Amino acid sequence: MKAMIVKEFRELARDRRTLGMLIVMPLLLLVIFGYAANFYVSSLKTAVVGPQASQVTKMLPSFFDVTVTEPSGTQADAETLLRDNKVDVAFVTGQTPVLALVNGSNLFAAQSAVAALNKVGNQVKTQVLYNPDLKTSWVMVPAIIGLILTFIGTIITSIGMVREREAGTLEQLAVMPIKPSRVILGKIAPYFLVASVDMIIVTVLGILLFSVPFNGSPFAFALGAAIFLFVVLGLGVFISTISQTAGQAIQTAFFFLLPQILLSGMIFPLEAMAAGVRWIGYLLPLTYFTMISQGIMLRGAPIASLWLPFVVLTVMAVVVFTGATLRFRRDLAPGRPASPARGEQAAAEPVSTT
Amino acid sequence: MTYSVRSATVRFGSTVALDDVTVEVPGGSVVAVVGGDGAGKSTLLRALAGELALDAGTVETPPKQRLGYLPASSGSWAALTVTQNIDFVAGIYGLAGDELAARRAELLDRAALTPAAGRLAAQLSGGMRRKLGFIMAIVHRPALLILDEPTTGIDPVSRIDLWRLVSEAAASGTAVLMSTTYLDEAERAAHLVVLDSGRVLVQGPYDRVRASFAGVVTQAGRPVRADWSWRRGRVLHEYWPEGQPPAGTTTVAPDLEDIVIALSLARRNMVPS
Amino acid sequence: MTGVLLRAARVTRRFGAFTAVDDVSMQVQPGEVVGLLGANGAGKTTLIRMLLGLIAVTSGRVDLLGGPPDRERRRRLGYVPQGLGLYGDLTVRENLSFSARAYGAAVPALPPALAPHADVLVRALPLGAQRQVAFLAALAHSPQVLVLDEPTSGVDALARAALWDTIRAQAEQGAGVLVTTHYMQEAQQCDRLLLMSGGRLVAQGSEADIIGSTTAVAVRTDDWARAFTALNAAGVPVMLEGRAIRVADADPAGLAEVLRAAGIQASLQPVPATIEERMLMLSRQARAS
Repeated sequence: MKAMIVKEFRELARDRRTLGMLIVMPLLLLVIFGYAANFYVSSLKTAVVGPQASQVTKMLPSFFDVTVTEPSGTQADAETLLRDNKVDVAFVTGQTPVLALVNGSNLFAAQSAVAALNKVGNQVKTQVLYNPDLKTSWVMVPAIIGLILTFIGTIITSIGMVREREAGTLEQLAVMPIKPSRVILGKIAPYFLVASVDMIIVTVLGILLFSVPFNGSPFAFALGAAIFLFVVLGLGVFISTISQTAGQAIQTAFFFLLPQILLSGMIFPLEAMAAGVRWIGYLLPLTYFTMISQGIMLRGAPIASLWLPFVVLTVMAVVVFTGATLRFRRDLAPGRPASPARGEQAAAEPVSTT
Repeated sequence: MTYSVRSATVRFGSTVALDDVTVEVPGGSVVAVVGGDGAGKSTLLRALAGELALDAGTVETPPKQRLGYLPASSGSWAALTVTQNIDFVAGIYGLAGDELAARRAELLDRAALTPAAGRLAAQLSGGMRRKLGFIMAIVHRPALLILDEPTTGIDPVSRIDLWRLVSEAAASGTAVLMSTTYLDEAERAAHLVVLDSGRVLVQGPYDRVRASFAGVVTQAGRPVRADWSWRRGRVLHEYWPEGQPPAGTTTVAPDLEDIVIALSLARRNMVPS
Repeated sequence: MTGVLLRAARVTRRFGAFTAVDDVSMQVQPGEVVGLLGANGAGKTTLIRMLLGLIAVTSGRVDLLGGPPDRERRRRLGYVPQGLGLYGDLTVRENLSFSARAYGAAVPALPPALAPHADVLVRALPLGAQRQVAFLAALAHSPQVLVLDEPTSGVDALARAALWDTIRAQAEQGAGVLVTTHYMQEAQQCDRLLLMSGGRLVAQGSEADIIGSTTAVAVRTDDWARAFTALNAAGVPVMLEGRAIRVADADPAGLAEVLRAAGIQASLQPVPATIEERMLMLSRQARAS
């Protein structure tokens, strides 16, 4: 039995990806939970709209970080600001009691706001928009849609590509008159379709089971989902070009998946994370898709106000896809191969048997 | 149409996989490449297939549309049936409709795979799977056919079937380049190439290779020089490059296996390590 | 130790409705090399797995070193499967160390050919060297029985000869060896042969016993390509050997007729048949039934 233990240790020592997971993953989780896990939002972006706006602004506790003061604004303006996710709370003055509109799609910010406003008492009337009952499911479902797309896109796509490598059929594709880009597109097309169908099912179920609203344009939603799918599918292809076996591909895909679950704002709000960790969230595609899905479903936001996540996702899609295609082309097209053919394994190492 | 690599050199890092190798493959003939591990067989085949770039030398190879390739691995997609495999490859080469159906039926019949047409490739025996890979490689009637160890690990009967398919392809004008560890297959080829450590030890039709073989091979129960002997069946053969075996030893007419082993030993023993 | 090392007595193995091994009896004595031949699917691997005790028999009995193949007896067995059974991500030394310890044997010394690669990962070695390592691992505990599944598949002539040297040496020291192979030249190196087809043992003994009553005719002609095509088209079991065409179990008159009709000048000559031709005829019979 000791021989078995020794052998397993030796194999583990050589398996860098598993080692990476065993060592880096716990550290990562610790750091994230230490710095990111925070349900309490410490300051809220606030707008004050209506007559005597500046005076009201001065009266507000520092908890409300007033970024917009609009004396000539109306309630409609305030609602627009909220819909476009520019602020978490908007005070509409010129009436008694003052109206406080809270952005219910930012769950934790909203909960903090409501708690703070309750302390203020009768001078303020609180109204939560977009998610009046502050239901977690209403905020989660749009995020989970993105998570499912990410899951299918990275993990499952990465296996599909590696399968060719493992079976040895990649070589044949290389000498056939088929362009590398066509191979990639042909390979991801089924996953694109399946992911889209999955997304529709989850969205519909979410709406039916949890009464999650869908206030915005389905077209905008579909567009955002399509772009996001391209990003995650591209990630899947990329992972497959750096993996030799399906096991490795899954490990690597997990590595990309886990941070997105924890740092995309799905579980812990981005605003509440320490800045040192928050920037990671801004690098993750899921963060931006969640902005889109929550914005469209809960707030009915127009594309114009979601320009940032749309643009970022488009850029990501282009970058990831180009990178993945270039790497894949190296596997397929004539040129120096990344590694010699299996039968010639020895030729690559300076080892001779004679 | 003759395809070829000329003065080809290929390096992987610091190792020279092919060293100034020239091999011609004329249409209608079978060229067999033999050699040990690391000799450069697969590299030579891949070079001719246009799969890798040369560090030196030239390659004359047809466009992908007219090239057929069977890699050393399975050569077929495990999760597809025999028919689906053929259809996939044929589709890439532009065959469709009735033409595709007719060609598929013809090839399945020639490879004796018709009863297995609906079976998954993964469920085929090794020999049948190789035959499937072979007909996939010739579905589009290529001008040049490259086969990487098509018969390794295959049972003798399937080997015969495969050799028949190869002969048929050559008989219909295709240029065939194949690597093999079976020297009896190399003997049957019109032209054989013996590689060792990336270099051509000897090449030509078998008769010429045999005629140009210098030295004598003897047979005995025990060897005189261990470095120069090898086992053949119950006896040991020994190579005398200078042709001066001691008196009293029995000389034998060397076959290709003897020649290949003798030349490899000569290279090994004379090259300072 | 005298006595039969491996024995199968009327062994049958069924998988549902499919009979993989059908009433096979065979044995391996000390000091002999027995070759097990047969096409893929003939039942060789299933028989071996029963002899090793990896799967149960449906009926009949299997003896390994005088008794049922249990763990204690398997200690004195050396087995090299087709896949070699080595760990690709461990070095040569580490592989040998593991298997030696598993059997409670001393770690074998590396021969000069392998010594420079002691710390190389097995998967980076060429196939011939890998097979050598697998052999070493199987022999480290001085087994009395060796079972080798296609030990030289894919290996070049020189390395093949070296491996067979090792096999012979083991037999000379008294071990019994059971080898499966697809190389007919290796079949000739065995003391005794067993030929399986369709789960049955159809022949055993010397090469002549295996070939049985199969005949062959050699067709010599300058126009070999056309002769080949014509005979092939006639459905005759034709095969190439050197420059000549060989036809198994053929009627020379019928062949001459086919060639004459195709306008080919050729000389026909009866020649001794080979094991491959016997196997070819067996498979044609199986296909026809």
